[in-house]
Amino acid sequence: MATTPSIKVLYFAQVAELAGLREEVQTLASPISGAEWLSGLEIRHPQLAPAARLKLAINQQHAPHHTLIQPGDEVAVFEPVTGG
Amino acid sequence: MVLVQEADFDSAALIAGMRQRTAGKAGALVSFTGYVRDYAENAQTHTLFLEHYPGMCEREIEALCATARERWDVQDCLVVHRVGELHNADQIVFVAVASAHRGDSFRACEFLIDALKTRAPFWKRETLASGDRFWVQQRDEDAEKTGQWAVPRDQA
Repeated sequence: MATTPSIKVLYFAQVAELAGLREEVQTLASPISGAEWLSGLEIRHPQLAPAARLKLAINQQHAPHHTLIQPGDEVAVFEPVTGG
Repeated sequence: MVLVQEADFDSAALIAGMRQRTAGKAGALVSFTGYVRDYAENAQTHTLFLEHYPGMCEREIEALCATARERWDVQDCLVVHRVGELHNADQIVFVAVASAHRGDSFRACEFLIDALKTRAPFWKRETLASGDRFWVQQRDEDAEKTGQWAVPRDQA
């Protein structure tokens, strides 16, 4: 049985609080740019608007918004980091 | 070596360990320790909660150490970053670099802490004495500091 192509989405810090969840599996049949994916995120979670300000990491690497998200990827979404 | 942990650390012991590992080779060791301070201008920080992205944090900091080794003559490099609940004046972060000559250690240590602040996925949530809670925002100054370390295109 073929599994549905999907991505694992991780939410951190303020983004996790606003979205009300930390992790979810989302169906993704074909590649999509980070910018397009963020637009979809804003529709699903209007409280995150404007989502274009958020940062992305794909498979644990910082990813500019033009990067393509592929089925099977781990996508993390967060505000600018504040460690140190 | 990169350690992300809830536990506090003993900077003197970490420096002694690095001194031992690089004995005879390193003529210089530079270390930096960061502490919890009052982040808001007119209010005292009560507690600080540090959230992180396990896995990516270690990977990002390892990558920064690799960059430091490429750019400077670094013999040993250590970064310890705490996560979880911290209190005012607690230690948060420790960076140490050993090298033959002091210039490499000074520059690599400053590069590591500057770059860590804008690249390593940690987020600080502050709780004031009043009970108000908020997520600390990245300072423009931190982004500018990291930008200063960018290698000019003709030298890259």
